[in-house]
Amino acid sequence: MSDAETPGGHTHEHDPDHEHGVAGPGYTTPAAMRTESGREKTAFVMGIRVGMDVDAPDFVGVVDVDPDSPTYAELIGTVEMPNKGDELHHFGWNACSSSCHAEGMTRDHLIVPGQRSSRIHILDASEPRELSIERVIEPEEVFEHDLSAPHTVHCVPEGKIIVSMLGNREGELPGGFLQLDQEDFSIDGHWEADLGEMEMNYDYWYQPRHNVMVSSEWAAPKTYYPGFDLDDVEAGKYGDSIHIWNWETREHEETLTFGEEGLIPLEVRMMHNPEETQGYVGAALSSNVIRFYEEDGEWDWEVVIDLESREHPDWDMPVPPLITDLLVSLDDQYLFFSNWLHGDVRMYDVSDSANPRLVDRIWAGGNFGDRQEVAGHDIHGAPQMLQLSRDGKRLYWTTSLYSSWDNQFYPEIGEHGSLMLKADVFPDEGRMELDEEFVVDFGDAPGGPARAHEIRWPGGDCTSDVWQ
Amino acid sequence: MSTPGAEAEEPERYEVTLCWRDGRETSLLVARDETVVDAAERVGLSLPYGCLYGACGTCTGKLLDGTLEHRAEPRALKERHREAGYVLLCLAVPRSVCRVEVGATVQADLVPNPWK
Ligand code: FES
Repeated sequence: MSDAETPGGHTHEHDPDHEHGVAGPGYTTPAAMRTESGREKTAFVMGIRVGMDVDAPDFVGVVDVDPDSPTYAELIGTVEMPNKGDELHHFGWNACSSSCHAEGMTRDHLIVPGQRSSRIHILDASEPRELSIERVIEPEEVFEHDLSAPHTVHCVPEGKIIVSMLGNREGELPGGFLQLDQEDFSIDGHWEADLGEMEMNYDYWYQPRHNVMVSSEWAAPKTYYPGFDLDDVEAGKYGDSIHIWNWETREHEETLTFGEEGLIPLEVRMMHNPEETQGYVGAALSSNVIRFYEEDGEWDWEVVIDLESREHPDWDMPVPPLITDLLVSLDDQYLFFSNWLHGDVRMYDVSDSANPRLVDRIWAGGNFGDRQEVAGHDIHGAPQMLQLSRDGKRLYWTTSLYSSWDNQFYPEIGEHGSLMLKADVFPDEGRMELDEEFVVDFGDAPGGPARAHEIRWPGGDCTSDVWQ
Repeated sequence: MSTPGAEAEEPERYEVTLCWRDGRETSLLVARDETVVDAAERVGLSLPYGCLYGACGTCTGKLLDGTLEHRAEPRALKERHREAGYVLLCLAVPRSVCRVEVGATVQADLVPNPWK
């Protein structure tokens, strides 16, 4: 059974691993999602106009990824936001596989925050090709809770949605977590009972079976919004830690500080298997992948991948790879990540989780990539936000990071927009190949060029779903 | 564009000239209590912006001539930017006739690529 195009309605009454007997909007296990969900047919992709001289708002784009369709690899629709200047960035579902106890719940709404505006849009996605805006939470409503700069959206058990917020109402530290109601999308207030030592926020992941949430750190909005300044790193204004939370009591329990080895820890991905108490975080600036894990009741971490900076003939200082996004395949076998300043996307075998083994990589765009165009389209930027098909056989990515950082490192994105690309992955052979036929050029978006950012599938994906 | 006799009630307004880097220039009247971004929106001119409260710098312009005041703390600008004449047009209100360099590329001046 496939619910890729008709989210919801999946029942798991007879699954021996999951005997709650309650239908929900997701899948009983990551394996069920991987094998039963069918191929992705449409992709939702963020299109951003902020920081460009394009007189149009940001949009959520619908890309046709069904090879049997006459509009394959085309941007077949865009839903423009009602206001300009949002900087749509990351987004999430009202419900996922963790909502298995929520009777009657369907995965039919996208929560789409504006990173700069702090405006939060609720989109009706029950028909993936007919997206529409259902509700808008205005910035003032968010500022009332002394929060700004919404980032990661996850639905969580008990009928709630949590959004990590990077700033207070002034765009300064510390931020926190905003909780929305899954039913009517009203703001409940802060999720956390106690921020503890957490002074910066960014991404988060949770493992409900182990009563834990792990969050990472970027910086204060007023620090990262205008662009990346090394002086700010020296002044300690960027993060170097992750935080361990008690999922039930919502209290901050512990800080794991990486220091120089883990500067700017961004995306947090725990293993999909809900039995696991480990995951990875990519430290963008240090360009390390750090594994964090619980052993005998104690949380610890280790650098498992350490990448080197590289000399560039036209640059004064060695250039770090800048790991900006990473994800784990649904079977927890492969880790993929992007090096946005260098220009490659990498695939590691993590079956031995403490010893990832590089199995393949693709160079496309960037400051070092040999391949600077695909099917006649210049690659502006480099591999950045990643999304993997549920069966692990197709890796898609976009090439823009963040408007002000794009303008600093790949200014051509600001003028011409960016791309969505794809590689075919052969998990059995441990390799991947760039699909030279697939390119979606957001430079040609209706209404003017746009930056392409996060990608999601109707029906759930490797970076949205958590299992209870 | 005041009508005779209405001046007394109308707030003081100044002509602000927006200069794009491609050479395009447009002038508009901006009231003392109106931000340059708001005034531009009002007349249907597109200026870049994001947060609208001084934190993100997306609306950065460079004052070429005249006086603009920030009506709240321009958090996105560092001391060196303020000294060099950069202004946040979402907070900037005019205090004289002004000329301002505008457009998305002005913001990119604030923080150059540190490795280059
Ligand atoms: S729009 Fe964010 S500082 Fe002006």
